[in-house]
Amino acid sequence: MRYDKRWSAAAVAATALVLSACSGGGEDGDVTLTYATWSDDQKPAMEAIAEAFEADHPDIDVEVQVLPWPEYWSTLQVGAAGRTAPDAFWMLADQFPAYAEGGQLLDIAGAVEEAGVDLSAYPESVMDLYDSGDALYGLPKDFDTNGIWFNKALFDAAGVAYPDDTWTWEDTRTAAQELTDADAGVWGIAAPIDRQGGYYNSIYQAGGQVIGDDGKAAIDSPEAVSGIEFWTNMQADGSSPTLQQLSDTEAVQMFMDGKIAMYFSGSFWAQRLYGDEAFRANVGVAPLPTGQQRASMISGILNAGYAGTEHPEELAEFLIFASGEEAAKIQGESGAVLPAYEGTQQTWLDSMPEFDLQVFVDAVEYSVPLPISGNAAEWTGLEGEYLTPAWNGEQSAADAAAAYNAAIDEVLAE
Amino acid sequence: MTDPITKPRNGTKAGRRGEWVLHLALTATAALMVAPFAWQLLTAFKSTGEASQSPPTFWPAAPTGDAFTTFFDSVPVWSQFTVSASALALRVVGQLVVAALAGYAFARLRFPGRTVLFGLFIAMLMVPSQLFLIGQFELIRDFKLLDTIPALAIPGMFSAFGIFLMRQAFMSIPTAYEEAARLDGAGPLRTFAFVMLPMVKPTLGALAVLTSLYSWNDLLWSLIVSPRGDNRPLTVGLAGLQGQYGTDYPTLMAGALVASLPLIVIFLVLQRQFFNGIASSGLKG
Amino acid sequence: MTAPSARPPARRRRAGGLGPSPLWGYAMIAPAFIGLAALYLWPFAKTFGKSFMDTPAFGPGTWTGLDNYTELLGDGDFWQAFGNSAIYTAILLLGVPIATVLAALIQQIGRGRAVYRVLYFLPVVTLPVAVSMVWRFIYNGDFGLLNWALSLVGIPGQYWVADDAYAIYAIGAVGIWMSLGVNLIILGAGLQSIPPELYEASSMDGAGRVRQFFSITLPLLSPSVFLVTVLTVISALQMFDLVFVMLRSVDNTALDGSKTIVYLFYEKAFVQFDQGYGAAIAVVLLLVIMLATVFQFRVQRRWVFYD
Repeated sequence: MRYDKRWSAAAVAATALVLSACSGGGEDGDVTLTYATWSDDQKPAMEAIAEAFEADHPDIDVEVQVLPWPEYWSTLQVGAAGRTAPDAFWMLADQFPAYAEGGQLLDIAGAVEEAGVDLSAYPESVMDLYDSGDALYGLPKDFDTNGIWFNKALFDAAGVAYPDDTWTWEDTRTAAQELTDADAGVWGIAAPIDRQGGYYNSIYQAGGQVIGDDGKAAIDSPEAVSGIEFWTNMQADGSSPTLQQLSDTEAVQMFMDGKIAMYFSGSFWAQRLYGDEAFRANVGVAPLPTGQQRASMISGILNAGYAGTEHPEELAEFLIFASGEEAAKIQGESGAVLPAYEGTQQTWLDSMPEFDLQVFVDAVEYSVPLPISGNAAEWTGLEGEYLTPAWNGEQSAADAAAAYNAAIDEVLAE
Repeated sequence: MTDPITKPRNGTKAGRRGEWVLHLALTATAALMVAPFAWQLLTAFKSTGEASQSPPTFWPAAPTGDAFTTFFDSVPVWSQFTVSASALALRVVGQLVVAALAGYAFARLRFPGRTVLFGLFIAMLMVPSQLFLIGQFELIRDFKLLDTIPALAIPGMFSAFGIFLMRQAFMSIPTAYEEAARLDGAGPLRTFAFVMLPMVKPTLGALAVLTSLYSWNDLLWSLIVSPRGDNRPLTVGLAGLQGQYGTDYPTLMAGALVASLPLIVIFLVLQRQFFNGIASSGLKG
Repeated sequence: MTAPSARPPARRRRAGGLGPSPLWGYAMIAPAFIGLAALYLWPFAKTFGKSFMDTPAFGPGTWTGLDNYTELLGDGDFWQAFGNSAIYTAILLLGVPIATVLAALIQQIGRGRAVYRVLYFLPVVTLPVAVSMVWRFIYNGDFGLLNWALSLVGIPGQYWVADDAYAIYAIGAVGIWMSLGVNLIILGAGLQSIPPELYEASSMDGAGRVRQFFSITLPLLSPSVFLVTVLTVISALQMFDLVFVMLRSVDNTALDGSKTIVYLFYEKAFVQFDQGYGAAIAVVLLLVIMLATVFQFRVQRRWVFYD
């Protein structure tokens, strides 16, 4: 009975495995808070923050967990609906309204007041993203603004001057054409359909808006359309890889492979670009070009708490700490992101001295909060469907924008 | 294995030539099937730059294990492996017990409502699994099983397919054995455990392999039932890799290779039992 | 499905009097039934109920009757997803004749069957996430293996998974690749039950292998082919992970035109916080699957040969 032996051996091994994996609970009496994030890059910084907090609060244990980005929101949603969400978690502006209005977030206004937190230490435009009247559902952890990441080697090779703060839209388009070398597989710029790093910026630079002051879509205004054309023109010029190429290989990867000279995007790439030591020396940063005016989207992650937590007081303390000055410095020094707390940005700048990261801090002055309204997750999800024809040159930017405008209004009217 | 069909022809010249052609066709298709794995293996040893070259290079120009280092540095491979393996073991054991009992009852015992109940099980095969997600989650939560290994394993223990497979296997066994056992005075439970169960061992083995596959590959469910992140399996680590490294193909390929390897090894070791088990299960319509 | 080959003998109450009373049957299916009821029937009933409700992101929903369903019928996205699922299913059905021929070929050879079975089964054993990563890479429009191979024979390359004109077909090819192994096993089991004497007799009549395939193998294998077809349709209509992992990882321009029904369900219920609408999609899908299955059982007597 050879089989029997093998099966029973397997059963014993299985039982041992199960038992060993089940054991190992926490000590009694201590409070454990979970803190959900989606970035492996930032995990060390988040763990350092948790440790610093635990040092001050020996009775509280903070567990940092990293969820894969594609499943982050579905996991959080099922958890919240099932009353088992993590205690603390990262929140984004487009998901925020659903959670805030659904009563899922812990109001820490009282605790913040008691602790004497100075709310003016956070960028106003980021606070606006998460404005909920009298309630306060968390504090900003970081923020990101946009700039031009460029490849100095490709600029040198093409004999084009580096971008600087005098650049206009026209300068961008011309440079992108000059930098493009189809035979070498090099493009001047990446022009994907990118809200945060791309066309929202140019819409506001042109004096347009995505959502108007009346709360309705405004993406079909002549200004907004010209902001979209900024990108579609460069697609038409052949200065950018096609949308299909950018779907197959992310723009940031193409940039790091030396196939793209300019990548308009956020400060959050700094750490990854800096981490590639061979590539680091080739990377330059410049402010976004000026249209009718300067503008850059600003967004930021909110450290939010779950309303159904078992430890609301400890959680509020942790949230305040995790967005406070000490935590901000830890984040800045790690280079992970630009911390939100005023006066701590220098730590981030110092962590990567070779990059002129001041550009991103300066951008706060002319920054615009990422437009969020109604069920933003739903109408931003329609963007690809309506705008792709404009990027592919199958439809004029004006027609695509008009169609998308109507679709947004329909979602907002629900 | 004996081969009743080709045996008579093997001796003839025409038969041998025919066999050549068959092997050629089969090998060509097999090459297509295996090509993605070969490409995965080759890419895992390339640098990121080389992997995105056009035209592609075949052999890695300067073979490097960097991709594996990156993978092991960024994913807690061993702890996640333990979680995956524990969940797999629990699920397989549970599944075999549940399916064997029910399969036997449906195949051999008579009780009112048998057909209706069996139909109910089969109907569940048609329902997309995502539809059960929230309800199953709430149940696991209410039983305070979140963040445990059993939470990962429990829903998968109750598979309609397993019951169907075991029922087919039991039906293919001649009734004479049971009659003999009964004449010896054995009750239904003893007949089941000591007479019938040993006879469907190959099918049990096949079911174990199939269940292992499903268990090892589970992604969304594993994420949802481990909100604290204490017990996450290897699939989660691999999915996270995709978020972190986007299109850094060598790292992705190395991770994909390492994460799939344990199961491929299990399969290669048990493949003979697996195929025989399926073949003897009477799974032929 | 096969009818029970034999029934329990009629003389039940003999030898010790401990005959299998109906209670034994209930006792033995109890574990399975409890699991089925708690983990499948109850969740299903809940979802079914939700399909008649307007559900806010969190908290209880309000009863809206058939609103979700009427909205669904006028939803272009739903019909597009429906079309994509239909295309995917059709592609996977092409895999059935391929599997049938391959199974017959494998059955014909004397040595090396096990090797081929293992090779064809490898994709089944591999993590879907891993499989998707590999195929995304192979399908890459700029440096993928496929375009390079096509260029050798002068066929222009495409952006297979970045262009919605091709994406669902490209995913369908991966689906065939992934399902071939399982289909081969089922068909292989069917082939082994065909009596060898039939081939011997027809060989003596001078029938070649091709003729034998059509006159003996195919009719006698038809119950297995039928089973494979039914299972293929069910699983193809439920396809989710390939789209999820192959098209969603970056902002993919092909995703909008390539969503399947279950993907749309996932998106509505878990991304856009609309579980009621998502539930309605799932219920409609279930109806479609049941209709397709019933239809197949209806037409089987035209082509499935039972001895």
